[in-house]
Order: sequence, then structure tokens, then C-alpha cells
Amino acid sequence: MTRRGTVALLLIPGLAFLLIGFLVPALGILFAAPGANTMDIFARVGTMFTDPYDLRIIGRTIGLGLIVTVLCVVLGFPIAYLLARSTSRWAGILLALAIFPLLLSNVVRTFGWLVVLGSNGALGQLLTWLGITDSPPQLLYTPFAIVMGLTQLFLPLAIVSCYSAVSQIDAGLDDAARGLGASKLRTFWDLVVPLAAPGIVVAATLVFAGSVTAYTTPYLLGGSRQRMLATELFSYSSVTVDWVSASATAIVMTLLVVAVSVTAARIGRKGSVS
Amino acid sequence: MNTSKPVAASLAVLGYIIMIVPILFVVATAFTSGSTLRFPPEGFSFQWFEAALDYAPFTGALFTSLQLAVCSTALALAVGVPATLAIHRGSLPGKGLVEGLFLSPLIIPELVVGLALYQQLIITFRIDNFPVLLLGHTALLLPYAVRVTGAALAGSDVSLEEASRGLGASPIRTFFSITLPMLRPGIFSAALLGFVTSFNNVPLSLLLQSRESSTLPVTMLDYVQQNYDPMVAAISTLILAATVVVAVVAERTVGFAKIFGGINR
Repeated sequence: MTRRGTVALLLIPGLAFLLIGFLVPALGILFAAPGANTMDIFARVGTMFTDPYDLRIIGRTIGLGLIVTVLCVVLGFPIAYLLARSTSRWAGILLALAIFPLLLSNVVRTFGWLVVLGSNGALGQLLTWLGITDSPPQLLYTPFAIVMGLTQLFLPLAIVSCYSAVSQIDAGLDDAARGLGASKLRTFWDLVVPLAAPGIVVAATLVFAGSVTAYTTPYLLGGSRQRMLATELFSYSSVTVDWVSASATAIVMTLLVVAVSVTAARIGRKGSVS
Repeated sequence: MNTSKPVAASLAVLGYIIMIVPILFVVATAFTSGSTLRFPPEGFSFQWFEAALDYAPFTGALFTSLQLAVCSTALALAVGVPATLAIHRGSLPGKGLVEGLFLSPLIIPELVVGLALYQQLIITFRIDNFPVLLLGHTALLLPYAVRVTGAALAGSDVSLEEASRGLGASPIRTFFSITLPMLRPGIFSAALLGFVTSFNNVPLSLLLQSRESSTLPVTMLDYVQQNYDPMVAAISTLILAATVVVAVVAERTVGFAKIFGGINR
């Protein structure tokens, strides 16, 4: 057998799985949705950006996604920075503790918030006990609950991306900047943050893409009051069985993620050139 | 931690609280002898563990999830490893393009892939749920298989294989005695990552499952929506315990941070 023949034989099974299990059905969302034609789906994508109900859901999805992204970077970067710069033997354990949740089921992690935020939950009782509120406030099924749940879910990803970036910066540079008279704050903002910027961009992209497509969190913690694109997509496909709207929602969700990833890749390239 | 950076340290503590504390509450609630998710738990008992292990939908779903995770991981490696070899050793003309194609399922949201397979294979072509689940999970794991084993292959020395061939070994013998041993850590990492990814998956399985082929995470979601009792806390605690075992095995073999964070420490 020729070398080219062998290479083809090695690739064909994998490509077959990709085509049947992913690529062809994905195109079908637009061109072959059951009982729906492509023009209707395009038109529905258009109305999603004009209909007030759809716009509110798109707005909530993007808005909560942005809040979670900012929170994950603001909380995750200091963790990554402290761990990467620490010489303590605890740093290894703390790093493992930050990565471990990536292995643990999202359902298990999100369920924890039901216990914390539920009507008889710990946080409501704590607030009442402290005298901040008269009775346990409604915490579940609020945007706050979704933000907490998504932040918990995606913080490990942010930490991992930032950690890789920070650990590549020579710690000697920090000392040099400090030795030349820069304050700690100035060293952090003018040296560490710019050098770690590519890692921060990667972290933000992963967190945002994860947040705007997550299903478990808005389903369990947002309920029917705080619908997001993912829960809408599910209810169009299995509750109301509206294939045109299901396909349109899928397209909007995909465009959102792809647009953000492409923009981030551009920023990343520009950053590495300058 | 360094206490000379008070702002960074307080943000870090808040981050750890958000990541870890809810999980501790799940464990605490699982051992309650009461019947609600009230905190603090009322008394101590194992009754919810017994209830969870006796509850047929959970045990059935656990079996389905294990079956699905094992089969899809094995399939993804069976077709992914040869593809990785072709990409890294086959001097392909469009190497970047082919590799990109294998990584492409990572870009599209899993829920969207689930919808695509549901619309086309289950609704239009009336294929049974389990084969579609298996196909979907395999496609989802392929990028991990190709990337992780590819990294192992890229870090290995081609000249060893060339020497083996030069000394007269057949391509097949070279593969089994030189290439495969070099790939072993990569295959092990990919298998672990694949198993966990498939076992925990919700968005892809959500639309593809049926009553007979329901996966554990999705069954738990349905249960929580209808019942407000600690049974899910009990099964969550069992999953947590199993996950800790997986993490320890990963740490002892190839290094936990390396597999799941791509971090070399």
C-alpha cells in the first residue's frame, strides 16, 4: 500500500465520525430543520433582534455573561498571580483545589447553590440572623443566583489561563521594577498585567463563551423567571416544538460565541505583535 | 499566601469561597435525617444515601452514563489516535486544516450540537436515542483525543521511529514497540479527560436522551426540578467522592494539573 493510502486510511474513520456526528447535522440546523424552511429561519433570526421578548433574553444572556466574565477575571487573576509567585508548599494544594472543580459535575456544583440560596438556605438565614433582612429574602431564581452559579463554574478556567500566563513572566522582572523604584501597585499594573494580557484575554473568552451557552445554571438557579438563550433553545425544541425558533436561537447563540472568539483571537494576535 | 498584598489576598479568598463552599453545603445536607434542604441539617443519618441507591431512575441512569462514557471514550481514541498519527507523521499537505477540522466541535456550543443531532438523526432519520448519544459524545471527545495525544506525539522524537524502520522493523512493529509506548501517557490523559467529560455532560445529552437512555446528570436535573429533598445531595456526595478518587489517580499517574489545566509544575 502507498504511503498516501495509509494516511487516508488512518484519517477516514475519524473524519466519518466528525461528518455524521457533527458537521452535517450542524448545517442541518439552517438548511434542513424538520418542517421548516431556510428563509423562515433567517427571518426568525432577524425578528430575534427586534422582538422585545427575544431582545430581553439576548440582553440578559449577554449582560449576565459580561458580569460573570469580569468577576471571574477580577477574582481569578489574583488567585493565579498569588499561586504562581508563591514559594509556599501550600501553593500546590491550593492550585489543585482550584483545578479540581473542573473535574466535578456541573450539576453537583450548581446544586450547592440551591442549598445555599434556597428559602431555608444558609445565606438567607445568615442575613436574617445578622438583622440585615427581617425574613430570608428571595435569592433563588434571581440574576444574582445565576451570576454566583456561573462564577463558581467558570472561575477554575479563568485561574488556569491566568496561571499559565503569569508563570511565564520572569519573577526577576518584578524585582527589577521594584529595585528601580516602582511601587508594588505600579509594578503590578504596568508590568505584570500587560505581560499577562494574552492569558487574561483567553480567560475572558472562555468564561464568556461558557456563560452565554450554559444550560444547567440558568435552568436550576434562574427558573422560569430568568430565562436565557440556552433555556429558551431547550423549551423551543422540546416543550413548544417550534423548530424555526429553535434553529434561530441556536444560530444566534453560535454567532455570539464565534464573534467573541474571533475578536479575542484578533486582540491576541495584535498583542503579540506590538 | 503572601499577606503583603491585602487586596489580592481578599479577592482570592472570596474566589475560593465561591468555588468551594457550595460543595461543602451539599455534603453537609446529604447526611441529614430531616426531609428538606434546610440548613443547618437536622440530625445525622445515611437514609438519603440508601434512598438514592434504591431509586431505580438513578441506578439505571448511572449504568447508562457509565456505558456511554466508556464506549464514547474508547471510540474517540480508536478513531482519534490513528487520525493524530496521520496529522503528525503523515506529511499531510493541509495539515493545519485537517487538525482544525478535528478541533472544530469545540467552537460550536454543545447545546447547539445536541439540537443538530436531535433534529437530523432522531426526528428526521428516526435513529434510536442511544446510538445518537454515543455518536454525539464521540464527536465531542474527538478534539480532546486528537489534541492531548497530539501533544504527546509532538513532544516525542521522530528519529526513534526512523531508526526502528532503518534497522528493518516493519511499520506495524515500529508502531507497537516504539510509537505506542511514546503515546501511552497522552492516551491515558485523553481517556481520563474523555471519560469525565462524557460522564458529566448535560447540554449534549439533554435533547438526545429518552426515558430508557437517560443519563445521570440529566436525571438529577429533572429530579431536583420536581422534588425538594436531600436525595440529590446524597448522590452528589457519592459523585464527589468518585471524582476525588479520579483526581488522585490522575495526580499519581500523569499529574493532575497537567491533564486538566495544561499546567507543567
